Amino acid sequence: MEREEHMERTVERDSGFEGSGRAMRDRLTRFVAVGEVGVLLALIVLVTFFYIMEPAFLSERNIRAILRVVSFIGIIAIGQTILLVSGEFDLSVGAVAGLSAVCSAKLMTALALPVPLALLGGVLVGAGVGLVNGLVVVKLKIPAFIQTLGMLFIGQGLIQVVTNGYPVYPLPPVITEIGYADFLFGLGWSFVFFIAAALIADFVLRRTVLGRNMYATGGNPEVARLVGIDTARYKIGAFMTVGALAAVAGMFVMADLASGTTSIGSGWELNVIAGVVVGGVSLFGGAGTMAGGLIGVLLLQVVTSGLVVVGVNANWQQIAVGVIMVLAVGLDILRRRYFIAGSSSAPVAETPSNPS
Amino acid sequence: MTDPITAPPVIQTRAIIKSFSGVQALRGVDFAVHPGEIHALLGQNGAGKSTLVKILNGVHKAGSYSGEILVDGKPVAFASTSAARAEGVGYVPQEIEVLEQLSVAENVFAGHTGLGRGPIINRRRMEAEARALFQDLGLAIDPRMLVASLTSAQRHLVMIARALSFKPRVLMLDEPTASLSGVEVERLFSVLRRLKAQGKTMIFITHRLPEVLAICDRATVLRDGRVAAEIDREHFDEEHFIFAMSGQKLQRLYPDHVAPPAKTPPLLSVKNLSIAGRFGVNRGVSDVSFDVRPGEILGLAGLLGSGRTEILHAIYGRIPFSGEIEIDGSPVAIQRSADARAAGVALLTEDRKRDGLLFNLPVGANITIGNLAPLSSHGMVREGREKSAVLAAMRALNVKARSPQASVAHLSGGNQQKLLFARVLMSAPRVLLLDEPTKGVDAGTRHEIYRLIVDLADKGVALVVVASELEEVIGLADRCLVVADGRIVDEFTRGEGSEDKVLRSITTAQATLQQQALAAGAGRA
Repeated sequence: MEREEHMERTVERDSGFEGSGRAMRDRLTRFVAVGEVGVLLALIVLVTFFYIMEPAFLSERNIRAILRVVSFIGIIAIGQTILLVSGEFDLSVGAVAGLSAVCSAKLMTALALPVPLALLGGVLVGAGVGLVNGLVVVKLKIPAFIQTLGMLFIGQGLIQVVTNGYPVYPLPPVITEIGYADFLFGLGWSFVFFIAAALIADFVLRRTVLGRNMYATGGNPEVARLVGIDTARYKIGAFMTVGALAAVAGMFVMADLASGTTSIGSGWELNVIAGVVVGGVSLFGGAGTMAGGLIGVLLLQVVTSGLVVVGVNANWQQIAVGVIMVLAVGLDILRRRYFIAGSSSAPVAETPSNPS
Repeated sequence: MTDPITAPPVIQTRAIIKSFSGVQALRGVDFAVHPGEIHALLGQNGAGKSTLVKILNGVHKAGSYSGEILVDGKPVAFASTSAARAEGVGYVPQEIEVLEQLSVAENVFAGHTGLGRGPIINRRRMEAEARALFQDLGLAIDPRMLVASLTSAQRHLVMIARALSFKPRVLMLDEPTASLSGVEVERLFSVLRRLKAQGKTMIFITHRLPEVLAICDRATVLRDGRVAAEIDREHFDEEHFIFAMSGQKLQRLYPDHVAPPAKTPPLLSVKNLSIAGRFGVNRGVSDVSFDVRPGEILGLAGLLGSGRTEILHAIYGRIPFSGEIEIDGSPVAIQRSADARAAGVALLTEDRKRDGLLFNLPVGANITIGNLAPLSSHGMVREGREKSAVLAAMRALNVKARSPQASVAHLSGGNQQKLLFARVLMSAPRVLLLDEPTKGVDAGTRHEIYRLIVDLADKGVALVVVASELEEVIGLADRCLVVADGRIVDEFTRGEGSEDKVLRSITTAQATLQQQALAAGAGRA
């Protein structure tokens, strides 16, 4: 600790700055800057609050209900976190989930394909949409906001085209079995997949060259290219990952409902983005962790569920989600300002250079 | 420093002192511009020109410097750029700042109020006023045209019209010719002469001497934050300017370095390199060829916008070019930075914040990014291996940071620069391109970097160094190429060069180019 303080002072002197309040402020900001710590504390506070207000909040049934929803949305949030880290985002995930689900449902019913093949088809639809999103954003330089918003509408339209507006059922019994499996406190396969995918994705982001290059791509694509990273490939890859994971989530919901319903995935895109952003994954790219993003998704679900259990009018849930998201993004911007303010605290120019 | 003219200056500064983080940029500048003159403000990069300009147009607010500004003899304090504008200081920035999707008239009057009733703009009146302005300038630009359809020279004139629409007492033009071709420069000069005939006072900021000789009435030369000379038109003389701009600075100590023997085969050969100019930014590079031998430090001397940075970026695959690049005598195809890296070329970029540091990653990851292959196995980063590589690099280059986990944002400029050196050197490059390697670093680090450059050369690395400070290029390089307007205009070896010589060859080259352009323009007419 003492050594750290000493170094801190050296650094300060190096940058030509003095000020006793600065070290303290630095440390506080740095603590807030660790995304997961803040959001985890907030989660604990909220859970405690709802439990005190209504002990039934922590009933087995309610916990299971929360985790079930988290397992579906969370699968997509994994992909969204990876994509946000690489500096882009995808608004079409809900539509992609629905489209992949009804496509695979059609494949196994109307075309009578074997179930594994039909499921693979669903995943390919998701990854294919991701590929299109990625190519358009990276190669044609159309902003991700526009491209994926457009894809949201296109996907919703295609769901209607594929199904003519009618749910696809009955599905083969295997699907129903997947959906009704109730091991692991009744959480079933989707939760297992969610946990496994989250662990793998976390490992990839934190420990692999791929993950590191992803952060570099999102942090500053220009620098990433200069050090030899093929940023286009990374971004397209991330778009495809989100698409494929959205497809998986959509198909788990399909199994859960035992029907390829047209409403699968509708409205998820905002829950997913709001969740991971609340968890400290930066909308500006290059910052955030898998753990943070997924805790954020859980937090939003806790709030939504908690308000219901406590007996607040359902209309207030959405308001709460909105307020929380804005607060979280505000925090993200503060965090970024801390980095950028820091970057300018170094002496800008020894010889005041002439920018002209 | 005595004024031969008796009328009070339109704008005047007294004893302006301004420092950035303890470094003095201006050390007591007395500057005066008299009514009706075109006053040149000259100086090398870093002399304090832009700092003075930023004080005069309110970018550096009153209170952030000491000293006084007087407009028509009255002291003024500018709290903002709009305050400066309201006091009659008009400013035309070097970079073209236009709203492309709006009409010429709308661009001219952007920022104005009271052009109609309340919030509703009277379009007809605005267009009429814009037309009148262009008539005064002697220009045939239709105010209803979209700015997107104008050339960069025309856009520049729109910006001049915008500044004039505020009816300034004095008009500051910041390097107005930087992105103009010879003919366009001549057209701009005729506009300026016309304005002068109408009694307008102008400050012309530049580092091109032929232009000063062509159009200015008086000149103030800044050097090291002081006024080095104030020269009237009758005493205008290139020698005089060059002496005032370069002066006699204290010699910095550069480590000794012996150039490799002349018959050593080149490691890097650049043949007929041409780069297209970027609209409104520079004029590109044409037909540049040079060799660099292993162990040699080659300097590229030239002014900003001369194309020196673009040459480095092209070799590193950052911008498209035509021509050939050979390493060890065999041509290499470089289309992306990854290709250049694979060929053993590394680049240290000029702007640490824009294209150097990754502020989202800590010190350690900033060093190893792009160099992870030897520090990983099966795609996984080996944390132990990475940490020891980072610590070794930090020790070797004396990067002072709390730990490899520290944030790069809070390092000093010198440490940030050494960190980037560590990143670039980790791939053990054979050819190292350095763009402003000592920009914004303290004197101590500067010396460490010089030492490092010479050590690398001694190990057989071929180095190409670009620096704004001519003295640095001359002191460091075994051989120096002078770049002006995208061409190599002179070359000399260690000991032969001096700042005077570089400035002179640049000036000669620019004068020749201007004459050629004029001749071409006349031929076309």
